[in-house]
Amino acid sequence: MNPYESHPARILEVKDLTPREKLFTLRFLDEKLNEEFTFRPGQFVIVDVPGFGEFPISLCSSPTRSPIQLCIRKAGRMTKFIHGMKEGSVVGIRGPYGNGFPMEDMEGSNLILVAGGLGMAPLRSVLWYALDTGKYEHVWLFYGTKAYEEVLFRDEVLHLLKHGSAMNCTVKLAYEIESPSCIYLEQGFSDRVCRGVVTDLFRGENFDVENSYALICGPPIMYRFVIRELLNRKLSPGRIYMTLERRMRCGVGKCGHCVVGTSVSMKYICKDGPVFTYWDALSTRGLI
Amino acid sequence: MRYVKLPSGNFEDFFNSLKGIGQIYGPVKEGKTHHFRRVEEAGQMDLKYTRTMLPPKKFFVRPRERLFSLEDGWWRKEGDGKPFVLFGVHSCDVHALKILDRVYLSEPVDPYYARRRKSAFIVGISCLPDELCFCKSLGTHFAMDGFDLFLHELPDGWLVRIGSVRGHEVVWENARLFDEVSDEDIANFKAFEERRAEAFKRELRSEGLADTLDLAYNSPVWKEYAEKCLACGNCNLVCPTCRCYEVCDRWVDAYRAVRERRYDSCFMESHGLVAGGHNFRPTRLDRFRHRYYCKSYFDPSAGFNCVGCGRCDEFCPAGIEHVKVLDEIRGSLE
Repeated sequence: MNPYESHPARILEVKDLTPREKLFTLRFLDEKLNEEFTFRPGQFVIVDVPGFGEFPISLCSSPTRSPIQLCIRKAGRMTKFIHGMKEGSVVGIRGPYGNGFPMEDMEGSNLILVAGGLGMAPLRSVLWYALDTGKYEHVWLFYGTKAYEEVLFRDEVLHLLKHGSAMNCTVKLAYEIESPSCIYLEQGFSDRVCRGVVTDLFRGENFDVENSYALICGPPIMYRFVIRELLNRKLSPGRIYMTLERRMRCGVGKCGHCVVGTSVSMKYICKDGPVFTYWDALSTRGLI
Repeated sequence: MRYVKLPSGNFEDFFNSLKGIGQIYGPVKEGKTHHFRRVEEAGQMDLKYTRTMLPPKKFFVRPRERLFSLEDGWWRKEGDGKPFVLFGVHSCDVHALKILDRVYLSEPVDPYYARRRKSAFIVGISCLPDELCFCKSLGTHFAMDGFDLFLHELPDGWLVRIGSVRGHEVVWENARLFDEVSDEDIANFKAFEERRAEAFKRELRSEGLADTLDLAYNSPVWKEYAEKCLACGNCNLVCPTCRCYEVCDRWVDAYRAVRERRYDSCFMESHGLVAGGHNFRPTRLDRFRHRYYCKSYFDPSAGFNCVGCGRCDEFCPAGIEHVKVLDEIRGSLE
């Protein structure tokens, strides 16, 4: 078995999410692989465009549903290239890689999902998984975004904002740039939509910290503030999970680009992560 | 361990017998430096060398290597696996290969590395340290495994330690070239090893090094050296345990492309760069410190990621000395 070998997959659908992000729905050409392919929310795959290169991307669909979906932001040469690809094209997929969120360990507990910007993509996988399996007490989604136009999976988020309570799910949205759509939303859901940053959404919420887990994904700057908020509420560092980004080239702990830490503990983000607890961050320098 | 003696007069025959395994590579002097090169005769090698410029890792993790080639729109696997002999590997380099093994042979196994590792017949050789060697401090000055045969110099030949079944088979097939080890040989071996142990001039204080370095994260010494460092990445290339690689797709002509990997260096700015332009190690200080942390990473089951070969010192154009940096970092805490 060659771990660097990718499997051809057809792009079934390309959907514009925002001007920068597109949602790709993919299906392997090998039917057997479609049946066997499973993953944990939080894991990632490496997308291969033969002749152009590879890049890592989080799975944003849930293992409870198929086919797989990837939310790709146009951020560089490779992602720009794939944004130009149409339905029916074939790309390579290898993985899944990484540890993912420990969904089984968290069963029966509350989940506090905190997403910032593109961080919504891997957390959507958790959200769907939690709602589909129904194995979790209550699910909060705190989603901080720049503007209404940048809300990823807008239809799904708005649907849950309106009807989430029936599924034991509370969705809250914070935005930075005001727009008529945001003001309209804020008027309709004054307790759940506000102008501000993602930590503002914690206001008025009381969590049973003994029975809750926080799962965070967002830009590096967000972690510090969100973690401070969670620690103030006495959530244990072992119950705060976050998914991190580094340059993952091989995905299997060989190429060395994603190594972090010091002489005492070194970790490969691709193999030991990308999901870490806040305790891992406290004991490994350079993790966040 | 099994021991036999190879008398000096039989050395050439022994060398020639190895040709049956495959192409032989050994240390050859070119100008002022030594390199592992293809050799046809024993006389081409200089076995009294201290260190080669590129370590034996180049035979297993190739400086540039083709992983796949694109044919009819999809990838075809590449790779070679011809048997070969690596002659005259020092014990520090044997240990370095063991460190690479832990990375490349752990699950999922790197098939390119594994194939070459299987194809290699390794003949180790004893050496005397120069002023840059500090392998003794790291316990890598003597190899107990990781080789097929290991030759220790005696006044009238070589004491051969047999480290693998394949090594045993080679000795067996050429039994006429080898003698039993005599008491005199044992005394000579012991005397040589004692003399060698005393010859080390440089010492790395490795006790508590990992924790000490971790505690010295903000030491001003890092900054001082980062300013001196040219960030050329030489140390990465010559290091027998540095193994970072970069992958790129390259078009050979309008119809054919290849996917290659090549050595990368953590001193390059692109090493920690992610999509969107965020760099997790943006400054030279971050990158300098990272290399030292990586080399001094302490694995409880295996030790440090450094084998004390002294290559990074010898080939550093800025004259930065590994042990001196670590000593100063330690000193900045006291």
